[in-house]
Formats: sequence, C-alpha cells, structure tokens
Amino acid sequence: MKRDIPDLAGGVLLAAIGLFVTFYAVGHYEIGSLRRMGPGFFPAFLGGVLAALGVMIALPALGRQGEAIRIAWKECLAVLAALLVFAAGLNQVGLVLVTLASVLIATLAAPDCRIGWRIALAVIVTILSVAVFSFGLKMTVPLWPGR
Amino acid sequence: MSGWDGFLHGLSLAAQPDVLIYCVFGVLLGTFVGVLPGIGAMATISLLLPITYYLSPEAALVMLAGVYYGSQYGGAVASILLRLPGTPQSAVTTLDGYPLAQQGRAGVALFTSMISSFSGSMIGIFVLIVLSGALARAAIAFGAAEYAAMMILGLVAASTVGAKHPAKGLAMVVLGLILGCVGTDVNSGVQRFTFGQTELMDGVNLVALAMGLFGVAEVIANIRVAERTGVPPRVALRELLPSRSELRRIPFPALRGASLGSFFGALPGTGSTISSFLAYAVERRVSRHPEQFGTGAIEGVAGPEAANNAAAISAFVPTLALGIPGDPIMALMLGALVIHGVQPGPLMLEARPDMFWGLIASFGIGNVLLLILNLPLIGIWVSMLRIPFRWLYPAILIFVCLGVYSVRGSSFDMFAVALIGLIGYALSFARFNPALLLLGFVLGPLIETNLRRALLIARGDPMVFLQRPIAAAFMVVAAGLIVMSLVQVIRRQSNRAV
Repeated sequence: MKRDIPDLAGGVLLAAIGLFVTFYAVGHYEIGSLRRMGPGFFPAFLGGVLAALGVMIALPALGRQGEAIRIAWKECLAVLAALLVFAAGLNQVGLVLVTLASVLIATLAAPDCRIGWRIALAVIVTILSVAVFSFGLKMTVPLWPGR
Repeated sequence: MSGWDGFLHGLSLAAQPDVLIYCVFGVLLGTFVGVLPGIGAMATISLLLPITYYLSPEAALVMLAGVYYGSQYGGAVASILLRLPGTPQSAVTTLDGYPLAQQGRAGVALFTSMISSFSGSMIGIFVLIVLSGALARAAIAFGAAEYAAMMILGLVAASTVGAKHPAKGLAMVVLGLILGCVGTDVNSGVQRFTFGQTELMDGVNLVALAMGLFGVAEVIANIRVAERTGVPPRVALRELLPSRSELRRIPFPALRGASLGSFFGALPGTGSTISSFLAYAVERRVSRHPEQFGTGAIEGVAGPEAANNAAAISAFVPTLALGIPGDPIMALMLGALVIHGVQPGPLMLEARPDMFWGLIASFGIGNVLLLILNLPLIGIWVSMLRIPFRWLYPAILIFVCLGVYSVRGSSFDMFAVALIGLIGYALSFARFNPALLLLGFVLGPLIETNLRRALLIARGDPMVFLQRPIAAAFMVVAAGLIVMSLVQVIRRQSNRAV
C-alpha cells in the first residue's frame, strides 16, 4: 500500500486544526454579519479554508509513495531538553549555572564526544551570555541561585 | 522633500557614528551568517529582534536591514566553494559558481558575485528611491478595500508563484493568519483563543514565533547536516582579479539581473529567490553560448547575484511605502518597526522622514562598506566555512532563550519557543514552509482590520472588492494565480498517471 506519510499526516492534522478553530470560534465568539463582523467571523472562515486545504494535501498523498524521512531524534531531544532546562531553571538557579547545564545538554547531540571540549564550550558560552545580556544589555536576570 | 534631497539628508543621518556602527555590525554579521550554511538571515534577524529594544529605532532598523542584504553577499561564498548555498537566494549560483571553483577560478567567481551584488544593490536603491515616493503618494488614495486586496494578493503570490506545492504554501499562510487572531480582538475586546492564558492576551509573541521556527528548528535540522560540509579551497587575494575578457562578461548580465530583481523584489510575494532563478534563465536564453551554462559561465554568476541583491533592496518598497511586507523577512522588519512605534505606510514619509531616508541612505553606505570590506576580507570569510557547526549551535540556543526572555521577562515565552521549535521541525518533514506561516501571522491582524472596515463601509456588500478598480485588479490577479497553480498541479498529476 503506497502512502506519503508526511503529507498525509500533515494534511489530516491541518484539517483537524481548521475544523477545531471553526467550531471553537462558532461556539465561543459572536460571528456577526458581513457588514458587522463579530470576533468569530474571521477565524471561523479561516478554519474552514484551512480544513479544505488540509484535505487537498492529504487526499493525493493516499496514492503515492512518500520520501523516506529521517527524524534526528538525538538532536531533537537534546535541543529541546536544553531549552526546557533553561526555561525552567533561569529564575531558580540563575544565569550562570543554567547556561552551563543547558550547553552541556545541548552538546550531547554533537558528533564530537570529548568531554573536555564540551566543558570548554559551556564555559565560553556562559561567559559570553553573562557579558552580553547581563553586563552589556543590563538585563534584569539573576546570575546565581537565591539572588 | 523630493527623492534626492531626501537621500542626501538621509546620508547625513546614516553617517552619524551611533548609527554607522550598527550598520557596520549588521553588514558584517549578515555576511558571516550568509557565508555559513545552517544559519540564515531569517534566524539571525529573529535573534537580534529582542536586542533592538535596547537601540534607537534608526539604529535597530539599519542593523537588521544590514544583516539582510549582507547575507546576500555572503550566501554566494559557500555556493561557489562548496556547492552548498549559504542562503536559498544563492542556490542558483552553485550552477556555474561551483564549476568555476573546480577549474581553479574560485577567486574570479567570488569577485564576479561581489561586484554583481554591489551593482544590483545600487540599482535596487535607485528603484527604491524612485518608486517608494511615488507609491506612497499614490497609496494615500488607497482605502481599506485596496489594502485588504493587496495583502491577500501578496499572500497568494508568496505561496503559489514558483511553488511546487501551492496548497501547502496556502495552508501555512492560513495557519499563520489563524495564529495572528490569537489575543485580544481590537474591535470587540474579546479574548480569542487564549484558553485562559494571560500571556496570550497580547497575542502570540512575534519574537518567540520567529525564533522557534527559524532559530530552534534550523539548529535541530542542521546539527548533523552542517558537519558534512567539506573543506573549502584557499583563495588568495590576487586570484580574485578576472582577466579582461572575463571582466567584459560581467556588466550586461549584472544590469539585466538587477533590473529583473528590482522589479520582482518590489512586487508583493515574489522575492529574491525567484528573481535569481529568473535571472539565470534569462542569461542562458540571451547568451550566444548557452552550452557553457552549468560548466562555469561568468554570466551565470553575475546575473543571479545582481538579481537577488536588487530584489533584497527593492523588497523595501511595499514595506516602507504601503506598510505591507512582501516576503517573510520584510514581515520581521515590519515587526521591528512596529515594536519601535513606527507605523510604516504612506504616511511614514511625512511623519518620519528621518527614519525613512536614513534607512534608505544606510543601504547605500552599507553596500559600499560591503564592497570595500569583502574583497580584502575574502580569505577570512572563506576560512569561516571551516568552523564546525557544533561550536556555534549551543550558543545560538542560549541566545534564543535569553533573547525571548529579555522581551518581557516571561518564562512562558521560553517554553513557547521550545514548543514552536518542535512544531517548526515537524513542519519541515512534509516540506511546509514556516516562512509563509510567519508572513501570514504578521499580515493577519492587518488583513482582518481592513477587511472588516471595507465591508462596514460597503454595508456588508462583498462586491466592493470587485467594484473598486484597484482592489478588483489585485483580486483578479490573486484569483488568476490560484487557478494557474491548480492547473499546474492537475497537469502534473495526470502526467504521472499516464
């Protein structure tokens, strides 16, 4: 059975988002008339268009072979983990520690595996970010835990 | 103020040290990220967007614009040396630039691209001065219907012209328009799609959206890819100079490319990438030796490089004169202007002449700087290609987080960046273009406001878009583009079935 999985999934997902937007807008916001559009008019209309486009993308994908996709799992996880740690930790442990931790996590995805290089990079990026954002731009952000 | 007086006045403003320094920084950074495959102007401008809060509006815009046209210069370097376009706009340059490099003529190809880029930019600036003033004057007569129709045309053109999958492009635009609805509705004060999150009351944060889609998603996609770039050859300064017969092959292709680029750049929706492809096709058509193309024809480098630079400059015409960005990068520029309380449009020329002319004059200064700096620095730019991506991306990630946090000190926005980055990465699998999503997002509120106003004035009669001649022309072209791309898709599918 031939399927273009990325197109099929993408189209179906877009159609679902479109339908949700339309129904949510109709259910929660006033639609109004063409003359006096309510807040729900534009999103409800757009949701319908998106749903139609999603179907247009998904239907032809049923009968053809898609390209094989390779998801960069390791890279994706490392980057997301680094971002989440940074977002959660910035106000808790301060800029210095959170930057060190995030860079170390992010480098897990790098092809170069030497630990010395990772630590060196983490220190350099930390110095840079403190210099640019804390001293340079005078951003109010805690540098160390507990201020 | 007439065009040339304005430009001269602008020169005196843009040459002030506190603006000039950001111009220099912008063009150098632009060249740097243009040279490096894996980071583009889009990601860099999103990264810099929060930093511009700390600058004067003039300095901010001059810097961001410098990054954009600087990256057009840099993009050719990797195209020529590694057959790996540093920016999508310079993808065509690989066709003849790389064969030239393999024949040991890399220096000549680089010189050609630099000098053509410069002439393209200069012609683009000329067109910008002439057109934007005239357009701004004409646009004062534009009503809400014309604005709405023009933006719809821009979005349709951006997603269908030259696109392989117009439905995907349109879907991204519509998704962007929907995202633009999130937040407080200006007309009624109703909170739309905020799901009780107070952070969403002002809408989805432009900086978070741009950084997630371009910063984070590009980092994920490029960690592995960018490691396999290969080693660029060394280029010495004296290798740059072309022979006299080669030199003679540059001016006319550059001129043709620049005219083409200025024209298509100024149209909404058709940007510098399309211009460079068109310029290449034109050069091959008019050449007396079309068989040389693809094997190292100077014309094949000069035409496209002039075209993409001219288009990058003339793209500012609709952005500044009408307040309507024609491509996603211009959408970010518009966002930056609005952040600083400058509303681009026909009235900007009257209300903020300093800003308007200062910015245009800075293009002239920036391009002269690029020409003076890039030729001697070419060895340094080439050696930049040896920096492994793994040295850069952790810093990019940290700067993304801090940048988005600096906007309003919100941890919510940092989590949003991670989520948007994941979505952006997922979009790339089905070849959805996130740049179109961003264009829709920026234009969404503008379209909705003008649509509602136009229909209110017309007492709810949708025929208003066909009765007013200018609006009707925009709508007819937009409908024509949709029909054309439909025909194209159906023809392709029936070909496959046979």
